[in-house]
Amino acid sequence: MIMSALLKSLLLFVSLYTAFWRPAVKSPAVKWVLGKDCTLKVNGSTNINKFSCIIPDYPKPDTLTIYGPDQNEPVQITGSMVLDVQSFDCHNLMMTKDLRRTLKQKEFPKIRISFINLSKYPDKGGEAELIKGTVNIELAGVKKRYSINYRTIPSGKAKLTLIGSQTINFSDFDIVPPRRLGGMIKTNDMLSAEFVLKVNILN
Amino acid sequence: MKKVIFPGLIAGTILFIICYGGLYMAVRLFPGLFMEYNNPLFNSDGNRDLLFYLHAFIISLALSWFWERFKSLFHGSFLLRGLEFGFVYAIVALLPVMWITFSALDITVLMVLSWFSYGLMQAIVAGIIFAKINP
Repeated sequence: MIMSALLKSLLLFVSLYTAFWRPAVKSPAVKWVLGKDCTLKVNGSTNINKFSCIIPDYPKPDTLTIYGPDQNEPVQITGSMVLDVQSFDCHNLMMTKDLRRTLKQKEFPKIRISFINLSKYPDKGGEAELIKGTVNIELAGVKKRYSINYRTIPSGKAKLTLIGSQTINFSDFDIVPPRRLGGMIKTNDMLSAEFVLKVNILN
Repeated sequence: MKKVIFPGLIAGTILFIICYGGLYMAVRLFPGLFMEYNNPLFNSDGNRDLLFYLHAFIISLALSWFWERFKSLFHGSFLLRGLEFGFVYAIVALLPVMWITFSALDITVLMVLSWFSYGLMQAIVAGIIFAKINP
């Protein structure tokens, strides 16, 4: 008798629990399509001048997958953007050729930026904000992980601009900065890199 | 041989100081003139720096031999002899080389003129030294 009552109580508990309990399901993944107007800019200097080189467009759009896009929580990303070193333009033919050669374009024609994570999902409808993220940059055959500071600029519900910036060194990628005339003209090791991601959000 | 090597080494040392010192100052004082050197035509990995800095001695030894062979053709004071020697070298050797260099390489007139002037100055300085120590 007691056993029967206990069994009934247990069955009732299980029925009620399964009826009202909902597992904590993470939000489904979101796709970010990188638009054609994504850019990569590097600023550097020598002991006699400064230079600024840009890859002004991104003709082969790629897709990034964002996992767990709940706001205020870190999100994981898979996907990358692959850029042609050949596309660099330094607004000066010789500087352009020089940068391509320095980046070993013949051996390693691509730069790959693989996106790893963001400290939070960008605010969809709100104002511009600053968030952090991690990327792997593969250049001249060397892969290096960087923490990136992003400025996010929402442009409607389904569009987003992320501007990522970081200081990198030629030497991080085993590249010797160019030096000329016996070292009288020297390129500084440090470069400031900035990439602009124009994103179309697909749910 | 001694009359070639010794003056050549002296001139090489003096040219080394004047030329590279002058170049160092020029890069700092007139950086705009040197921006053209950011060009893949120029060696950029530093593996030929030693050759670059040996140039003062190479040109001095070559000019010292030239001086020893033809010094009897240059007359007047040592300054005048050195000056004439420099101009002879510039016209016979530098001008044709600069001409073919400009016609074949993607470089500017200003760059070629600066090389011509640099070579002329080197030859005049070397000529004055030779006229003084190996008259």
